[in-house]
Amino acid sequence: MIILIEAESEIPIYSQLTNQVIEGIARGDLCPGDSLPSVRAFAADIGVNMHTVNKSYHELEKRGIIKIIPKSGAVISTHTEIPESTSQRLSNELKPLIAESLVIGMTEEKIHELVTSILKEFKQN
Amino acid sequence: MALTIFFIIILFLALVQTAIPYLVKRTIVFGVTIPEKHIHDKRLTSYKKRYAVITFLISIILLGIFTTYALTVQPTEDQMALIGTFILFAIILISMSLYFYFHGKTIQLKKANKWVENLKQVQMTDLSIRSQDEMLPWYVYLLPIIVTLGLIVYTIPQYDILPDQIPTHWGPNGEADAFTAKSPISAIQLPLVLFVMQLMFLGIHFAQKNSGIKLSATSKAASQKRQLTLRKYTSWFLFLTSLLVTMLFSFLQLTTIHPDIFKDTTMIAMPFVFILVILIGTIIFAVKVGRADKQSNVQFKGEITDKDEDMYWKGGLFYFNKNDPSIFVEKRFSVGWTLNLANPIGYLVLFGPIILILLITFL
Repeated sequence: MIILIEAESEIPIYSQLTNQVIEGIARGDLCPGDSLPSVRAFAADIGVNMHTVNKSYHELEKRGIIKIIPKSGAVISTHTEIPESTSQRLSNELKPLIAESLVIGMTEEKIHELVTSILKEFKQN
Repeated sequence: MALTIFFIIILFLALVQTAIPYLVKRTIVFGVTIPEKHIHDKRLTSYKKRYAVITFLISIILLGIFTTYALTVQPTEDQMALIGTFILFAIILISMSLYFYFHGKTIQLKKANKWVENLKQVQMTDLSIRSQDEMLPWYVYLLPIIVTLGLIVYTIPQYDILPDQIPTHWGPNGEADAFTAKSPISAIQLPLVLFVMQLMFLGIHFAQKNSGIKLSATSKAASQKRQLTLRKYTSWFLFLTSLLVTMLFSFLQLTTIHPDIFKDTTMIAMPFVFILVILIGTIIFAVKVGRADKQSNVQFKGEITDKDEDMYWKGGLFYFNKNDPSIFVEKRFSVGWTLNLANPIGYLVLFGPIILILLITFL
């Protein structure tokens, strides 16, 4: 799976890495049980500081997307049920985005359409 | 003999120095990053051509002078070695001056035409790239190490039959020309130095294995092929060098213990074959890696370019990047690797063994 980051973007590099790994799993490019490269190899290959990759891995672990297992590295977790705390957090994060959509004049239908099209994009692969 | 060896080495160096602009990474011109869509710019092509023509002509003239001098004046081997080495340095000096001249011109051209200003800079990697890495496994380097340990074990019971003067230096004809008094350390000095060298090779292997596989977002296939080719052939070449050095040192150690074990012709041929194989290996390596990213047609798309890392390359030659955990990176002006000078482990891998070897030889 290709990881592409923008050096001069407003989004910090560690967030770009985190988001792209999550999107990769959503698209099916990465599957539960797959392991991510070691922090050193990943940082060396993409040419960023090891702390940046480390921060991204910890972020992914905090969100329950990967498990960091000593010696075998970062492995993508399997999900059976959605924890209450996660759905609460996602709801909180979606709220301002939906609010913004309403404020700029999007109808409920339009918002649904947007979500469906994004979902479709991930399902395509 | 000395003339033939120097002739081959000078010719080899002349050809390599001439070909460098055509063997380096496709997006690097005279140590300067050029966005993919400008790499075929006419002015850049003419810089490369001018560099190659001037370097080639001067080198061939120098080689001609050297050969005429050697054939007419008939100097001693020492004098010949001195002049030969001088000419080698002259070729390097001249080609490096030309490099710096065109390095400056390329920087100006890039700046004046604002080649990177309007492009979005990106960094890319492929999560599956590590599984395609074809470097030799580290344990093959244990083979020559075992031979060396065997050689030390073999030498110890032969201590009594060793000569009182242990050779420490050999001339181009394979005959020893410097000696040191026999002692338990000097008796195994040669295999000890060999052992340290092999550890260094192993260290270099690990350092390169852990160094980044740098892909280009604008020419993924080409950069991937080049990086994987570089890594694969480097590990083979490193292993070949380790084997050859082991053979040469074992040969010298065995001739010291048993002076008549090999024929005189073998004595003369051995170092010659050694140099020849290394030179041929270098040429194959340079061509294989140098051409790896030149054939493929790049489908260029979008207003992006690879992150401009020129600020980490001092003079386009020395890499100094604190953020990059790589110990080695691909060279910009030549084929091969160079140290990330901001990483202290690199100094340890290269200078640790050298200091150790000096300690062994002066003990």
